[in-house]
Amino acid sequence: MEPAVARHDAHEFEPKVVAFLCKWCSSAGSDLAGVSRLKYPANAVPIQVMCSGSVSPIYILSAFNKGADGVLVSGCHPGDCHYLKGNYYARRRIFLVQKLLQFIGLEPDRFRMSWVSAAEGVKYAEVISDFVKDLKALGPQTKLKAKR
Amino acid sequence: MIAVEDIRARAKDLLESGKVRAVLGYRRSTAGLLAEPAFMTTPEETAALVLDPTCVENLALYLVNEKKRMKHARQSDKRPLAIVAKGCDSRAITVLLQENHIEREEVIVLGVSCEKGGVIDTRKLMKALRGKYATSAAFDGASGVKVSCIGGGATLPAKDVLADRCLECAKAYPIDTDFLFGEKVDERPYGPRFTVVSAFAEKSREERSAFWDGHFERCIRCYACRAVCPMCYCDECVVGSTNFIVNPATTADEKANRVCWINRSASPSENAMYHMVRAMHLAGRCTDCGECERVCPVNIPLRLLNTMLEREALEMFQYTPGLDAEQPSLISSFRDSDPNDFVR
Repeated sequence: MEPAVARHDAHEFEPKVVAFLCKWCSSAGSDLAGVSRLKYPANAVPIQVMCSGSVSPIYILSAFNKGADGVLVSGCHPGDCHYLKGNYYARRRIFLVQKLLQFIGLEPDRFRMSWVSAAEGVKYAEVISDFVKDLKALGPQTKLKAKR
Repeated sequence: MIAVEDIRARAKDLLESGKVRAVLGYRRSTAGLLAEPAFMTTPEETAALVLDPTCVENLALYLVNEKKRMKHARQSDKRPLAIVAKGCDSRAITVLLQENHIEREEVIVLGVSCEKGGVIDTRKLMKALRGKYATSAAFDGASGVKVSCIGGGATLPAKDVLADRCLECAKAYPIDTDFLFGEKVDERPYGPRFTVVSAFAEKSREERSAFWDGHFERCIRCYACRAVCPMCYCDECVVGSTNFIVNPATTADEKANRVCWINRSASPSENAMYHMVRAMHLAGRCTDCGECERVCPVNIPLRLLNTMLEREALEMFQYTPGLDAEQPSLISSFRDSDPNDFVR
């Protein structure tokens, strides 16, 4: 019994990250990270969306509610949006979501937005590694997770 | 001060001339202190119209409800509705116009300026009267509210009994009106805006988290806040099911396991979700009429969430809702200079 417990303790907490990646840039960026064989944590569950501007606040809240320890929204750099201005809309909306999440007392590090272009496989790997490192320090998210 | 006779005369005139199908205003209620909303359809009824600090309700809600009703009405009277609107209510109407929910021709705004006053908060009033029910309240001079209750009465300082939002109100007069009653007063004798929300934002994360956990835990999900909000006019709400048709053959199991964004169970995390989604949906639209907080049966400080986003909208995006029906809404517009440093 005891060795099993010890092994369980040694087993590090692995945060669950839900990453909303825009189809045109960030998703391609994550793909590049993959085909370039970059090493980065496998904690992120990528969800391809057509544009970062199409990420409704409820996607983010729902991800937290359904057990995500961290949520990442990633899109094209300003000016590079496939739909010209989707990421500008996203930036404004996500800013408000972030403020709201912080206001009700969620750790600021649990929610992140990043610009990752299709050529930035390295940056994507970096963003995910940093995020996972910060989340590991924070531990599991319980604030918004549904208690069932 | 506004002479209520002027409003009555105007309302009577509008009804007599047949320009409007009804006047939406306030009248004395049969129960309690607060005035009740009234649909006045005959000129005689306008004699009952009142305007005092007990007229707290936001009548813009009834424009939305009336639109819903008219959609299913067999015969529709196309004449406009006249509505008595305070500063915050008229801004709510402007937001509805901005969103093309109603047309400008459908409504005749009888704007009333609160000047240096506002509306009372019954919870504060009861506290000031040590648990006694007030029977009437009216302004007495500029800074006092004369209150009477069973077995006495008193003149209380306005600061102590006015609703919080009135103390923080920046524009106590309507802008887009057909008829304006009262003076446009910019200087208000109360404190600055956003004091409560700024003080709360200064607290530590743990404190804020515990505060909201405690409040969201008590939410019974009666949706009174949703029902009373003139901005909550969606036909289908996110807390309802998505594309789920209930028919007689639908089993209870199917109903319970249907797909929806937020479950109906009144558990703290789902309550938090509901209130956050509502706050987000009101970002840049909420005109701070304070109705959600007033109707909450368990006293959740809902205004705090809404004013927080209002403050962010003002400070970061220089956006104030309800000033101009032609301006693009907060969420459907952007600037190149929007904050970008939070993005990695």
